[in-house]
Amino acid sequence: MKVLCNREKLREGLAITNGVIPTRSTKAVLENVCLVATDDTLELVGTDLEVSVRYRIDDVKVEEPGPAVIPSRVALDFVRDLSGETVTLETKDGNCFITSGADSCELVTVDPDEYPVVPRFDAEKQLPLQGGILTRLVNQTSFAAAREPGRYAMHGILLAIEDDCLRMVGTDGRRLALSSTPVDAGKGEWAPVIVPAKGMQLFCRVISDPLDTIHLDLGEHQIGMQTQNAEIFARLIDGEFPRYAAVVPTDCEQSLEADTELLNKKLRLVANVTGEDARAVKFKLKKKELELFGQSIGRGEATAHMEVAFTGKAAEVAFNPDYVLDGLKNCEGDTVRLEFKDRTSPGKFTLGENFVYVVMPITVDA
Amino acid sequence: MACARPSILHVDMDAFYASVEVRDNPSLAGLPVCVGGPASGRGVIAAASYEARAFGVHSAMPTARARRLCPNMVLLAPDFDRYTAASRRIMEIFRSFTPQVEPLSLDEAFLDVRGCERLHGSALDIGHAIRARILKETALVASVGIAPSKFLAKLASDLDKPNGFRVIEEHEVRETLDPLPVEKIFGVGERTAKRLHQLGVETVGDLAGLERGEVVRRFGASGVWIHDLAHGIDPRRVNPHREEKSHGMERTFAEDISDPEELRTLLLSFCEEVGFGLRGRGLRGRTVTLKVRYSDFKTRTRTRTLELPTNLGPRLFSVASELLERVPGGPLRLLGVQVSQLEDVRQPIQGDLFESQLTPTRSQDQWIQTNERLEQATRSMDKLRRKYGRLAVQPAALLGRPALSGRTAPRQAPAAGAGAEPADSEED
Repeated sequence: MKVLCNREKLREGLAITNGVIPTRSTKAVLENVCLVATDDTLELVGTDLEVSVRYRIDDVKVEEPGPAVIPSRVALDFVRDLSGETVTLETKDGNCFITSGADSCELVTVDPDEYPVVPRFDAEKQLPLQGGILTRLVNQTSFAAAREPGRYAMHGILLAIEDDCLRMVGTDGRRLALSSTPVDAGKGEWAPVIVPAKGMQLFCRVISDPLDTIHLDLGEHQIGMQTQNAEIFARLIDGEFPRYAAVVPTDCEQSLEADTELLNKKLRLVANVTGEDARAVKFKLKKKELELFGQSIGRGEATAHMEVAFTGKAAEVAFNPDYVLDGLKNCEGDTVRLEFKDRTSPGKFTLGENFVYVVMPITVDA
Repeated sequence: MACARPSILHVDMDAFYASVEVRDNPSLAGLPVCVGGPASGRGVIAAASYEARAFGVHSAMPTARARRLCPNMVLLAPDFDRYTAASRRIMEIFRSFTPQVEPLSLDEAFLDVRGCERLHGSALDIGHAIRARILKETALVASVGIAPSKFLAKLASDLDKPNGFRVIEEHEVRETLDPLPVEKIFGVGERTAKRLHQLGVETVGDLAGLERGEVVRRFGASGVWIHDLAHGIDPRRVNPHREEKSHGMERTFAEDISDPEELRTLLLSFCEEVGFGLRGRGLRGRTVTLKVRYSDFKTRTRTRTLELPTNLGPRLFSVASELLERVPGGPLRLLGVQVSQLEDVRQPIQGDLFESQLTPTRSQDQWIQTNERLEQATRSMDKLRRKYGRLAVQPAALLGRPALSGRTAPRQAPAAGAGAEPADSEED
């Protein structure tokens, strides 16, 4: 293999594949990136067997087609720190030389036959979507997905296509983010799938232009996404996602609208004084005022007030401030609406046109 | 190492349950009085007065056997409400001397009086004062042991029982310990004692004389412990904040029970009782364990951890009864329920969105509503129970049943078995 290519493009490609490639794996070959030069393209392939990526760099000069499997981390670091504009990749005697101007390195290679086979995107039915919309949906839901071990299915994001609507849901059992967008699903039928959060984040990573159209393929065991120059596959989580629709509150007596920025600020202020293990901020509603109250045993307490538009009767409810702040961070509008029934029922935050965030309150015995 | 000056007190009430009974009914004075379950129902003795002990009766002995040893004994069903009231008074007395009080059960506690000397005098002064005040305020008799360590203090209180007062000074440790049988060492049970006897070890002095390496080789980690104690070394401190790890109740039946309905009803009464106990202590728990023992003494337990901790009887019952269905059926000799992973009720609870989906019979809203209402209702019911007695309010399913603890009327309605004793107090 011998290829000449733009250094910046190569760096970007290696950075993306390196995002999938494990730094330490029981299968050492997975710690490498697989380069394949054909015609006038260079393809970079990386996988950890859960998530795989093919990244294509066009406009390269292929002097000798062929593959090369080289250590991913080292290659990325070296290419990043090179100063020339063009880089030459060349295999010779079982080694791979990366050269730019007078600077070069020589990396050991692995037999390409040892590298696992990564699928190609060739779905019969595909769902076209604007890249930016996918990114938005992922950002609006992945923060709520579970991180701590436990309910396996909640470590992924539910992706469902129904009634010409693409919906994503992330939840850790204590809060739930639900965001959707209209799509033209055509005649295709897709069963809902659970995508690992890591895969979803990588999807967003390779979308370079939010206006570009991407294609999704929801298979039985994996989800694929195709962009201009990348194909990504993520193995689906095999599990049962909780019935999320049942927990989105519908009949709420209390409803308030608040300035997003101000609520964010006041909440952060009060949260400073709440305890570490049991963080709770009380939302006390009276007439046109919202009082935020936080305390921690042994440290003290804090109160903040702000004006809100409020319908319902005087009530109070307590939430983990971190959960609410996570939602506010992703809020699309200048105002946020909070609806709830009572202090033990879930609070529903409306953070955008098709974006709701449900947070289970913290109950404190009197 | 233990500190030189004896500052640890072990106060132990003499024949506590029996003494409370005699105090409240002076006509029993001088008679062999026992508290326990009836002989007909495989009951055991929970406490025996010294008059009864003279016949060889002791606690944990089957009532039937006690009856043979002492045909004239007066057997009373336990009334834990009164014992608890007396216990509370006694603990208050302890705490008026020092906050360093570690209760071991209803009727005994360790106290560390170091640092109280200028306020209340020496450990001996305090010991005498405590005994006098207990006698004056509760009309009950206590034995006091004073020593440099917990182990020795407990040993000391036992040496001169009843109405004992014994001090073990640092320099008296060897001469006090050496002649005692090894069984007196905390942690030396029947089996260890047997193995020690085979080595020719009869007294604590014999054990102390053994080479440490050999004891450790033969008895492992517990060898370190018993060898230390044999030398009077006990580094444990008095811990006033010893947290309850679990709270529960179990009961051996007079006759094996196989009727599932009957078992469920009993389980409900246990859960109600355990919930009441937890609420009284300001605790709630996350893990529910069901215990059953079959007629062949095979014991099985089943455990479930809740998403949200609780101290409400009906919630405990809904879990416990499911667990009961999961154990193999058959005549049961014993049934019990225990709640662990306890926490303070003031601890805020983060709600769970999908809790209802784990209990599919009800919708989320319904469940939360009932839980909320149940909590409010329980608070009011507890008030009534505290004012008018435990049976003032109870689930309809339990109406007309004898109380588990406490008596429906004074001196009657004996509960079956050894009396339903809270499982976290003395138990075999």
